[in-house]
Amino acid sequence: MNSSIVISQSDGRPMYLQIMEQIKQKVAVGEWAPGEEIPSIRMMSVALRVSVITVKRAYLELEREGVIVTQQGKGSIVAPDPGLGPRLYDQEFEEHLEQVVRIGTLLGLSGEQMALRLHDTASRLDETQKNGAQQNEAQPGDEVLAKETL
Amino acid sequence: MNDLAVRFTGVTKKYPHFTLQNVNLELPTGSIMGFVGANGAGKSTTIRILMGLIHQDSGAVEVLGHAMPADQAAAKRDIGFVSEDMRLYGPATVAWHMEFIRSIYPQWDQPYAESLLQRFDLKPQQKIKGLSHGQRVKSALLLALARRPRLLVLDEPTTGLDPVARREVLAELTAVLADEDRTIFFSSQNTLDVEQISDQITFIDRGRIIDSANKEIFLDRWRRLRLMLPPNTALPHLPGVVEVGGSSRLPVLTICQFEPAMVAACQEAGASVQAVDPMTLEEIFVVNVQNRRDRAIA
Amino acid sequence: MNTYVVTRLILKDWYLNFGLFVAALVLGFATLAAIAAAKATMLAVILGTIVLVTILIGMGAVVMSSPFNERKQQTLPFVMSLPVSYLEYTTSKIVGSLLIFGALWLALLLGIVATILITPWFPHGMIPFVVIMAVEVLVSTCLIAAVSVTTESQGWTIGVTQVGALGLNAVGFSIVRLPGIGHAMSGPTIQWSSTATLLLLVEFAAIVLMIGIAFWVQSRKRDFV
Repeated sequence: MNSSIVISQSDGRPMYLQIMEQIKQKVAVGEWAPGEEIPSIRMMSVALRVSVITVKRAYLELEREGVIVTQQGKGSIVAPDPGLGPRLYDQEFEEHLEQVVRIGTLLGLSGEQMALRLHDTASRLDETQKNGAQQNEAQPGDEVLAKETL
Repeated sequence: MNDLAVRFTGVTKKYPHFTLQNVNLELPTGSIMGFVGANGAGKSTTIRILMGLIHQDSGAVEVLGHAMPADQAAAKRDIGFVSEDMRLYGPATVAWHMEFIRSIYPQWDQPYAESLLQRFDLKPQQKIKGLSHGQRVKSALLLALARRPRLLVLDEPTTGLDPVARREVLAELTAVLADEDRTIFFSSQNTLDVEQISDQITFIDRGRIIDSANKEIFLDRWRRLRLMLPPNTALPHLPGVVEVGGSSRLPVLTICQFEPAMVAACQEAGASVQAVDPMTLEEIFVVNVQNRRDRAIA
Repeated sequence: MNTYVVTRLILKDWYLNFGLFVAALVLGFATLAAIAAAKATMLAVILGTIVLVTILIGMGAVVMSSPFNERKQQTLPFVMSLPVSYLEYTTSKIVGSLLIFGALWLALLLGIVATILITPWFPHGMIPFVVIMAVEVLVSTCLIAAVSVTTESQGWTIGVTQVGALGLNAVGFSIVRLPGIGHAMSGPTIQWSSTATLLLLVEFAAIVLMIGIAFWVQSRKRDFV
């Protein structure tokens, strides 16, 4: 299994967190299916050019969160729990909400003001998406390039 | 099989203008240790003692189970050594050096050596004297790597390399560790590299080891706390504060023993926590050294 | 002693010095040919001798400079990273240097003796003197080797080389005055006297002594880089 995880050096967060996040995203999106084998700690370390200890930490944390399961002497697999994907997304959503509240508090916004801003932003993005979709639809006579699957 | 690839116990070496004092080091088999220090701090001396090239004045050195320097010939069979001030023979070619090393070490892996030639972009028929500095470093690394030694001792392996070459070298070094029985000890000015690939980190300054720990623990323990103090509020007392900067209303605390509970403690003391910033290895090292020097002067 | 690695190191030095060795050999034999072809003048002989001795000493100095060259060119850490002890490295340097130089020396000595025997006007009585002087050159070179390996200093080695060259002349002059040597030189036959044998024994003893001292000094060193 090819590891397509990319570590960003300019990302200020600790590397093990970056690794954890990207693995969780892969699971959430379904790229790594429940029960599927994932690269061993050493293989991942080689692929990412990152120390073993960092990968080990990421894996340990992921196991504590129930995202992966490590079998003694046999490597690691994605946890077989079928509802894992949506749960991870939900967790990420919750984390972002907490950050919004924290910053909102610094700005001195009340709960209601924050909710209002959230609603406005959601509507704005919805509009933009609808307009963009119209522009992206292929019209008769347009050239269509081949689509490459990675 | 020994658990520790390298063990220094109370090693001391005196020179007229510099003393290496009471160095204690433990490097477990299967890990990478990054050795960080300013110029003249004692990195090269420590490495030469490790290789048995310099005899320590006191203390014990054990490498791969061999006492150094007494048993160095046997130990060096399994050690690959590259140092920044090492040169190869100018009039000879890269290929000649490869053949020379191959004739001495039975563990030479020719297919691997050839793949390294490609990846490091080296031409075997080129004479050493015609190579750039970076190519020479890569040649020396190739000669050490292709033998698949149990221990790699590298003094500044990425210094002077262009970014692409550095990336290749880091990739090779982490690939070495895919084998659990192999160990790497390397010194570097490049704290980014050390931060990325090391399992253990050791700081050395003015001949003394000033800190040595698991990298993740290092990066976890050090934080910059940005606080906002209401007027007439005292700075909360926290353990492990190495430095206090910023202003009296907006202090910035550099902490070397950070615990998440400290955030709550600050807030209870009346300070509001604006940010808890992690620190890069470079920042940690500089603060560590600066702090020691300031205390030495005081 | 790990003879395998020591051999590899000696071969390495051979490889690196091979061009020089061949050049010296060619130059030496060219000089001998010139002497053989020249008229029977003392001048030709003296000039030829000076050239030959210069070649030998020059080659000797280059080969013997190998130890401190390793340090100067910073290849010493590379060699010391190999599975050898410092004593084994020193052995390879001393033995290797003497082998390379010795090969050249022997070739030229045989060439000189052959030239004397072949050339019609050359008195064969010169041969004992020539042999003694040739061994004297060997003694001088061993001294340079011993100094070079133990001091690893370019300054010392050059100094000793120059002293050795002067000493060679002095020794040459004094030996010629010895009974048992001088008057036999112009004779048509080889006359080997007991004086000659004694001189040779003294020279070989000096060589053994110097090499022994060099090894002893090296075994006492603690820091190798």
